[in-house]
Amino acid sequence: MKIGTAFFLTAILLLSLASSVSAQDAKISVLNPKGTPPPTPLVPMAPRLDTLEGKTIYFVDIKYEGGASLLHEIMAWFTQNIPTAKLVFVENQGSYDQEDAKLYAEIKQKADAVVMAVGH
Amino acid sequence: MGKPAAGVVTNRFVDIARGNAKKKGMPNARLVFVPHPVQGMTSAQHKAYIAGKDPVTGKQVMQEIIDALTGPLTDDDRKTGFVDTKAPARLIGPQTPDNLQRLFQASGWTDYLPVILPTEKKVSDMMKGTSRRPDEVVGKMTGGDYEPWEYTVEQVAVNAVMAGAKPEHLPLILAIASTGISSFYNSPDSLVRAVVVNGPVREEIGMNFETGAMGPFNAANAAIGRAWTLLSKNLGNAGILGETYTGSQGNSLNYDNIVIAENEKSSPWAPLSVQKGFKAGDSVVSIFTGLGMHPGQGAKRGGETLKPAYNAQISSILDTFSGFFGALVVCDPLVAKNLKAAGFDTKEKLSEWLQSNTKLAVADYKESNYVALYDAPRAKKGEQPYAAWFKLPPTARIPRFASPKDIEIVVVGGETLAVFQAGNLKYMTSAVVDKWR
Repeated sequence: MKIGTAFFLTAILLLSLASSVSAQDAKISVLNPKGTPPPTPLVPMAPRLDTLEGKTIYFVDIKYEGGASLLHEIMAWFTQNIPTAKLVFVENQGSYDQEDAKLYAEIKQKADAVVMAVGH
Repeated sequence: MGKPAAGVVTNRFVDIARGNAKKKGMPNARLVFVPHPVQGMTSAQHKAYIAGKDPVTGKQVMQEIIDALTGPLTDDDRKTGFVDTKAPARLIGPQTPDNLQRLFQASGWTDYLPVILPTEKKVSDMMKGTSRRPDEVVGKMTGGDYEPWEYTVEQVAVNAVMAGAKPEHLPLILAIASTGISSFYNSPDSLVRAVVVNGPVREEIGMNFETGAMGPFNAANAAIGRAWTLLSKNLGNAGILGETYTGSQGNSLNYDNIVIAENEKSSPWAPLSVQKGFKAGDSVVSIFTGLGMHPGQGAKRGGETLKPAYNAQISSILDTFSGFFGALVVCDPLVAKNLKAAGFDTKEKLSEWLQSNTKLAVADYKESNYVALYDAPRAKKGEQPYAAWFKLPPTARIPRFASPKDIEIVVVGGETLAVFQAGNLKYMTSAVVDKWR
């Protein structure tokens, strides 16, 4: 290889390295790919009870495997420790991610408090 | 409900439970955690759970339940207005490309592989693929039980750039986005989604519907599937691990989804889009959801090559499926032509035969968790055929799929072998591509 050709190829290599380094270091701006969450209205929480003595507590099973058994153990604890509480076991009808309008209306009318459990 | 409530959740779902409470407008909802799992444990183990401590807070489980129902509300609990959310800045940077790649990955905006960085120039070039305005709203998307997110044409274009799509792919990606169906769904059983493409757009953008059509051998097929994944994460907030995604094992199909361009020219049957009521010249995407794909090899009678009975082979695979998710049978043209010669001159005839030949006993049907969660409530409401099925004796045999319409058939492949695959997938909806050109 002639000296002139070698010099030329070396120069090309150095130039391409330099441009590659500068491309890596060059700062760019990009568009944000993330969307915006919808505005979610805050739902004020329901007032709490002073006591659970004598209150009606609904235990809502959303029907995942094991949820009913867990709820019944919680109810057994209530029976033993707060025997004056009235305990009502109910199943949420429909799939687990659907609100059971009929049940919710019943709870609104009859329950003082709710314990809802999921399985998995 | 307007009543004091305590939600009891297992500690495997801490972030998702708190996240969902926030998305429902109650960020301080009183949640009590018990050890995971509850499923498959004895009542004695459940008793021990509630006698023990909340693994998240370290407090006694039962005391937390009592406190949730009786503990006074704080000012924050009574707050009205809106949950704090910040609109993201439109532009990010300036930063080096390497740092931006790191930021995108660390923020969960990618599929954990490098993406094409969406510079203004690249997004502007992508927008040349559609006549729509950048600020036009495309749709709303959710990947679970939370309020859907709304997005614009430009935001879809940004994610299309990231996926490596070309401007000519954009109308098809917009059509998918317009359905509002995310490529992920928040379910522990790691669901997958599929898109079937029909009409002229397949050839216009060079999609592969022949040899290797469902593999990584085509830029359009690959970019469209990947774009669906990225826009679902970023614009629908779907597939966010621990927040909006709980698939226990995950599914490799979620990387690029199942993208099927139907091989209309080699199919002896009407395209799926025509079955769904669109004109033959319309370009259409059709979306499916379910549990995944199953190869046809290994089917009963699969070795009977001298006198193949593909209908019987397909039914033996479908006999392992959950009827809840239906079936998407994907036939190579050789299989489709053979079936037509055997008398199945329409897809509908084959669907009817398959529905009649994939029955199961009522006792087996009722063992399915999907049946308990979805069909049993329908039966209680008197919805047919579920109400009738629930009244039958355990040994009675009923169709695995409620209707022949639950079994869809498409044709794809290069005729190198008479093979088929079957997805435990059900049809959801279709959208026209042409309106997004």
